[in-house]
Amino acid sequence: MNASRFWNWFVYPGALWIALLFAVPLFLVLALSFGHVDDLGRGVYGFQLTNYADVFNATYVPVLLRSVGYALITVILCLGIGYPAAYFIARFGGKYRYALVAALVIPFFVNYLVRTYAWVALLADEGLINNAIVDLGLTQAPIQMINTPFAVIGGLVYGYIIFMILPLYVSIERMDPSIVEAGKDLYGSPFQTFIHVTLPATQPGILAGSVLVFLPTVGDFVSAQLLGGPDTYMVGNLIQDQFFAASDWPFGSALTVVMMLFLAVWMVLYLRRATRGEAEVL
Amino acid sequence: MNTVSAFDKPHFLRIFTGLVYLFLFVPIAVVVLFSFNSQKSLQVMDGLSLRWYEDFWNDPTLRDSLFTSIEIALITMVVATVLGTALAIGLVRARSGTSSSANVLMLVPLITPEIVAGISALLIFSQLGIALSFWTIVLAHITFSISYVTIVVRGRLASIGLDVEEAAQDLGASRWGSVRLVLVPALWPAVVAAGLLIFALSFDDFVLSFFTTGEQTQPLPVRIWSMIRFGVSPTVNAVGTVMMVVSISAVALAVLIPRLFGRRESGVKVLTGSEG
Repeated sequence: MNASRFWNWFVYPGALWIALLFAVPLFLVLALSFGHVDDLGRGVYGFQLTNYADVFNATYVPVLLRSVGYALITVILCLGIGYPAAYFIARFGGKYRYALVAALVIPFFVNYLVRTYAWVALLADEGLINNAIVDLGLTQAPIQMINTPFAVIGGLVYGYIIFMILPLYVSIERMDPSIVEAGKDLYGSPFQTFIHVTLPATQPGILAGSVLVFLPTVGDFVSAQLLGGPDTYMVGNLIQDQFFAASDWPFGSALTVVMMLFLAVWMVLYLRRATRGEAEVL
Repeated sequence: MNTVSAFDKPHFLRIFTGLVYLFLFVPIAVVVLFSFNSQKSLQVMDGLSLRWYEDFWNDPTLRDSLFTSIEIALITMVVATVLGTALAIGLVRARSGTSSSANVLMLVPLITPEIVAGISALLIFSQLGIALSFWTIVLAHITFSISYVTIVVRGRLASIGLDVEEAAQDLGASRWGSVRLVLVPALWPAVVAAGLLIFALSFDDFVLSFFTTGEQTQPLPVRIWSMIRFGVSPTVNAVGTVMMVVSISAVALAVLIPRLFGRRESGVKVLTGSEG
């Protein structure tokens, strides 16, 4: 047996498993999106575009746009919050660097539902924050925080910021600090040095982090369900409804396919970089 | 003289980073603190008690769910670790068309939103006429854990040169023998770490379980979902704290095990998935 064939046998079991239980089912979602619901409420495969016509109506388009909008704001906030923190840990963390990274990861391993539920306890009208500011006399009545876009986006930032900070940390740590010194010698201004030297040098981390936050955020339904209301519903909530409450699997599949189309560019971009070893992979 | 930017001032950055840690840890501290509350309140901390832990333990459904979650995580851990490790070895050592398409196939689950993964799993099971149960959850969890193991193990593999394996083969070992005698011993700290991370991820998973769970055996996160939706219950704080202890213990072991074998940064590499 030649070497290549020998090593291929290591690839087959895992690759076949992923192909059969992940790739094939993705095509089932695509196929069912052209189907319809029969008289018994079951999804039936077919060749019609009615589900897509339903997706692009005045009820659902705003939800799709809202999901992408929330996800983009989440990416920007994660970058704005995560970059300085990752920079500090990588450049000034010293011997505590590993402990600081480990500490960042801990909240991520607390169940996402429990973490989001904690924000409900903090942000509710009768919650901890409102009680505190009313007791301190800062306001007369509680401030509406829950059921707002701020709460939903806040929950998303909290849920996924770790996917931004880790790739940023890796690329900032990998950057040679002397190029920042060189940049200062050449450009003078610290702001210019940051724009022309540090940002480009850490661009792989920025890209990987942005994609890794954007992708799961668009499909999230937990944050909008627990911290928002009908006005802040995201496409994930719609999809989830179709598979449970409304029980219209073909329409849910069409929503899923449209959502995936919004994500496809980012996924391909990430895959191309990751397979060439350019992006930080998590 | 150089002017100093905000980004060179550890002082400003230190405060900012401190606030980030505060943002990350305050909600978790709230959950843990209120799990010991003696009152049925999420606003006022009255006195300390273990009543919510007693409620958790005395509720047979919740207790069963805890054990179900642990069983799912253990089976997922073992199967995904074996398949993912083999896949990592194959991808790094084989330089063929098979391995590069398998590489793309392996990366896609990592960047697919979980809700899509959940729906896909639900559709394949219903298409094949498999009733949703404990085992459908396990199958779905394994599918999305393989890639994660592969990434972690591949990071370690990249740092092991081919020379040791070639030396073993020069000394008469077969190809399979050099895998068993050279690669596996060199890889096992990374393999164990990857397995423990998978345990934690599977144990905490909600979305996949939500779409693939049957009526009888619901894992703990699915139970938490219905508890939260049908009103606030302080028992959730106790359940959340117990889950936190279980998964953070697994992650702590995952970070410590490579360190015990003298590779200081491996722990961080395990968590960041970085290579090289």
